[in-house]
Amino acid sequence: MHYISKLTYYLVIILIILSINFFLPRAMPGDPLAYVLGENPDMPTRMTEEEREMRLAEYGLDKPLLEQYLNYMVGLSRGDLGCSIYYNTPVMDEILVRLKWTLLLTGTSTVIYMLLGIFLGAESAWARGKKKDTGSLITILTVSSFPTFFLGTLLAIFFAANLDLFPLGGARIIGASYANPFEKALDILHHLVLPAATLIIAHIGGTYLLMRNSMLSVLGADYILSARAKGLSERYIMNRHAIKNALLPVVTMAALTVQFMIIGTIFVEKVFAYPGVGNLLYDSVLRRDYPLLQGIFLFIAISVVIANFIADMTYLWLDPRVRDE
Amino acid sequence: MTGVTVKDVLGSLGLGILVILVAVSIFAPQIAPYDPHDTYKPMEHPSSEHLLGTNDVGNDILSEVIYGTRVSLFIAFTVSITAIVIGTALGLIAGYSGGVLGFLIMRIVDIFLTIPRLVLIIVIAAFMPRSIWTIIVVFIIFGWVMTARIVRSEVLTLRSQYYVESARMLGGSDLYILWRHILPNVIPLVVVQFIMEASHVIIAEAGLSFLGLGDPVARSWGTTFHYAFECPNIITSDVWMWWMLPPGLCIVATVLGFTFVGYALEERLNPKLKTVVGMGV
Amino acid sequence: MKKQKTVITLVFAALICSAACMAFSVTALAEEDNVAATDGDRIVRSVGGEVGTSDWRYPAPFTFYPRGPGYVRMSMLFDTLTWKDANGVVPALANGWRVSDDGKTWTFYLNKDARWHDGEQFTADDVKFTFDYMKDYEGEFTWFEAIDYVDNVEIVDDYTVIVSLNEPMASFLVDIAGNMPILPEHIWSSVSDPTKFTGDDAVIGTGPMKLVEYNSAEGFYHYEANYDYYNGKLIVDEFITMGVSNAAASLKNGDVDEATFWGSAVDAVNEFVDDDDFEIITGPSFWVLQIIFNCDADKGYPTNNVTFRRAIAYGIDREEIVEQKLHGGGVAANTGILHPDAIWYNPDCEGYAYNVAEANAILDSLGFTEKVDGIRQYPSGAERSGDLKFVLYTTGKYLREGELIQAQLEKIGIKIELTPSDWTTIDSYLRDAEFDMVISGHGGIANPQIMRIPDWPASTYQSEEYTSTFAEQEVTLDFDDRKELVNQLQEMVAEDLPVYTLYHPYIWCVYNPDVLDTWFYTRDGICIGIPIELNKLIFLARYGDANENGKINMQDVTVIERMIMELDEPTDMADANKDETINMLDVTCVELTILGRAPIRCE
Repeated sequence: MHYISKLTYYLVIILIILSINFFLPRAMPGDPLAYVLGENPDMPTRMTEEEREMRLAEYGLDKPLLEQYLNYMVGLSRGDLGCSIYYNTPVMDEILVRLKWTLLLTGTSTVIYMLLGIFLGAESAWARGKKKDTGSLITILTVSSFPTFFLGTLLAIFFAANLDLFPLGGARIIGASYANPFEKALDILHHLVLPAATLIIAHIGGTYLLMRNSMLSVLGADYILSARAKGLSERYIMNRHAIKNALLPVVTMAALTVQFMIIGTIFVEKVFAYPGVGNLLYDSVLRRDYPLLQGIFLFIAISVVIANFIADMTYLWLDPRVRDE
Repeated sequence: MTGVTVKDVLGSLGLGILVILVAVSIFAPQIAPYDPHDTYKPMEHPSSEHLLGTNDVGNDILSEVIYGTRVSLFIAFTVSITAIVIGTALGLIAGYSGGVLGFLIMRIVDIFLTIPRLVLIIVIAAFMPRSIWTIIVVFIIFGWVMTARIVRSEVLTLRSQYYVESARMLGGSDLYILWRHILPNVIPLVVVQFIMEASHVIIAEAGLSFLGLGDPVARSWGTTFHYAFECPNIITSDVWMWWMLPPGLCIVATVLGFTFVGYALEERLNPKLKTVVGMGV
Repeated sequence: MKKQKTVITLVFAALICSAACMAFSVTALAEEDNVAATDGDRIVRSVGGEVGTSDWRYPAPFTFYPRGPGYVRMSMLFDTLTWKDANGVVPALANGWRVSDDGKTWTFYLNKDARWHDGEQFTADDVKFTFDYMKDYEGEFTWFEAIDYVDNVEIVDDYTVIVSLNEPMASFLVDIAGNMPILPEHIWSSVSDPTKFTGDDAVIGTGPMKLVEYNSAEGFYHYEANYDYYNGKLIVDEFITMGVSNAAASLKNGDVDEATFWGSAVDAVNEFVDDDDFEIITGPSFWVLQIIFNCDADKGYPTNNVTFRRAIAYGIDREEIVEQKLHGGGVAANTGILHPDAIWYNPDCEGYAYNVAEANAILDSLGFTEKVDGIRQYPSGAERSGDLKFVLYTTGKYLREGELIQAQLEKIGIKIELTPSDWTTIDSYLRDAEFDMVISGHGGIANPQIMRIPDWPASTYQSEEYTSTFAEQEVTLDFDDRKELVNQLQEMVAEDLPVYTLYHPYIWCVYNPDVLDTWFYTRDGICIGIPIELNKLIFLARYGDANENGKINMQDVTVIERMIMELDEPTDMADANKDETINMLDVTCVELTILGRAPIRCE
């Protein structure tokens, strides 16, 4: 029963997101046609009334709102997110060619920041109140206060521009000829270091604090106390019992942090000219490529909703208390 | 014992930072050496005349950053106060009255929480004219949600408390109970929430401005940073040190101030509460 | 309970594994075919064109983004009949040409060595096919609209075509012959939806470069040399145009070998001045920023009064804007719009040097005498009342210029309300004449065709004299006559001020000469006036020392001259000599062109 109501709830949310996406350009001040045709301040064009009407008809903007809405929904059901003004190609295509880079960046960063956050959080909680705990807590609170773009720019200035240890930007050397796939992977990795490091530093705080809190409450629990009473080694208790039990909220949060990760990615990709979806979002804002902008929003929003849905489902399946609530 | 001390130290440190920043923004005209819109020779290096040099159109950077404090804090406080008031009101209604209205509010809250907030804000901001009011309105629309949710769950707990029950039995009106018994207990939570929200807005506004969606006339720290980032020789020369670092560090200091105060308050006011700090952007 | 925890651990492990797998599979996905460059190959990486944008869409003739940087990326692959270098028009697919006295019939002698990238022979059929195809798909080729001038194309033999025009077109040799990419008939004859035609076949041309890869995500174009190129020996093996996060830093790091800088980026350029590893060339950008006034008789008060516009012109200090905004990286504009470095430039236009006294005197004489808090008031009985206040619209880009103008005009008692807006909104105000003033810029001001109303944003300007003069210059073939007409157009703009021009930024090309040192700026811009340095002729050996004193040396002229002389059909040329008197003149004309005397004239 719970599963079905959850499913319905998420479907409703998706429907709402789709509707927001549809009504947004139509509710905004200005010419709806302008939002389909975009703007090019360097090449101003004049349209006659006839041309305008022709264009309106071409994009179906002359039809009643309800009919436009239905057409939009039908199009979406076929995976049609419309056409980018700038690229003059389907929005979905433009997103898909960039997706692999974004997945690489976010995937790598997520894995590392989660593991690191869990490890540091657990260590910190274990050493509660000691210098080690306070030190890492303050450090992590401080680095978490850096906006992603500021952090990224600083890393680029120090490690790329000044020390020349890593590339300034991009995902690989363009036009390079590699002797073997390994060399190529190394090049890609080399380009990945700074953007991924930025994301990891910017996001580690959440996991760290969650793990620390969760761990602290677990450490006060009866079975840990009894384990201690049994004389088991501290390390063993920590690894064997405490961490495992403290993980539940962290795992649940993992899916919920997807949206923060995506937002961070927009800034990181911009700073490092990394060829992912975030950079595309930035470009489409810059070019006022509204269909592309909306397409990316839809894509991200639905990905986030799906991630949340999966998290919810996992949580339901894992924790019977929630199920019975 | 050390833990408590550290918390206090951090709290006072945070409070100190915030007090200084608020003072700077209030007395900006007295502190700033120049009007931020006055123009001098552009791209000057720091000198005794211009402590942080001048930017690409010849505005004094120090003055721009000082006035930027005003803009950034104004946005942060306006948004978070409004959002907190709305959120608290809706949370109280949803928690206390329940029923259809409460259900409806909570559904809206759930939906808002699921939609990736900053992405939608970027999309909306791209459609709207660039002004600080656009930013304020858009942030308020999304800002009340978390507060409403937290307040509601607190109200649900409080409602069943014996003193609330007894007040009701004694014939106290709903408004009286809300005002007299529930609101005071919700306030600590709301204060923490206010701090979280303000810190979130600071960082999100900076992000939006960094993407070039901020108000170009009332320059916040994020907007100053945006223009610095666009400067073609920003990282090949030392220009970043006086143009990029000051607004960046101001953002960090503010967020840190809020975080420390929030962290110190949080466990003092409600040790059970576990808010995830630093997940703004 | 314990089992439960194991499950969690498992889930977590699975999460990590899946993410890691994703990362690795993605890495594998990124595996693409690369051309294996051999050692010693010359690979040139360029951030040419515009800062911030490196993707100009697929470089096929119907899909490239219809602006200069998009066009040049296509032009690497597709040649035109004629082309331009630093000194003017040079032969490309046409070795030589001549025009009839009435200016309506153009004969082109084609190059016999030209081959398509797929090995097919290039012939006159392809040229005729291209003209016909462009006419058929006129709406689809958004880059230019002038194809209407062409009546028909006649094939004389495999290497001679005659293009007949409906009416004389002064700029034909550049605007059509030097602009329209010639398409291979054997491929395009079966293409019915050219704007969707991409892929390997869509980029087969006759140009010096072949496309290896276009990557929209990473925003790069990877070309390799077409060693069979008919037009000369190539000195570059691979050419890449790409985007970077910071051009100056990438140059210094050696990630790229060449980059373009505009206007206020002079600060970045200055960092390379003392750097022996780099060389710099400066060019005109053929770009102008201007204030558009509302001249509409009904809605434009008071900017529809030319005297009033002049007061504003005197009240704006262009030098200050150049200094403050461009940091000296440009020049105060020519009020007649066309660029001072363009051949069509009229140096005698009224300049409106900054003169506050003059501006005040004019405003006083117009009755704006009363002041409140230093702001002039509308005279009583005028269409508006209160403060003499205007809304100045601009996109975010030119806000800083707007702020400077705001401060300057306040000194003559005019209040400016600066309103940043997006171009679509501004455009609709322009269309409906619902504005006071707008700041906007555009390029292409080497070519008089840019002054056509209403393409040109001053759509509220109504002047029959202007319109007729413009029409007349379009069909005037004689260079001097046409120049006179274009001069008049510029004087009219300077006189009537439908727009007030602010500045022309410079453009720079900073490059590493060890990698390639042939960079040059094209006379009046590549093709119809693209100001950037990505002219495909840089790949040719004979431009090897093009940069010495900025001119092509005489040896080069001889090469080109010789090429023209060596027309393969001597009989044809002889015939031509008999019935028309211009054959040898042709050569001289091109030669003259090369020497930079008369780039577009050929009669």
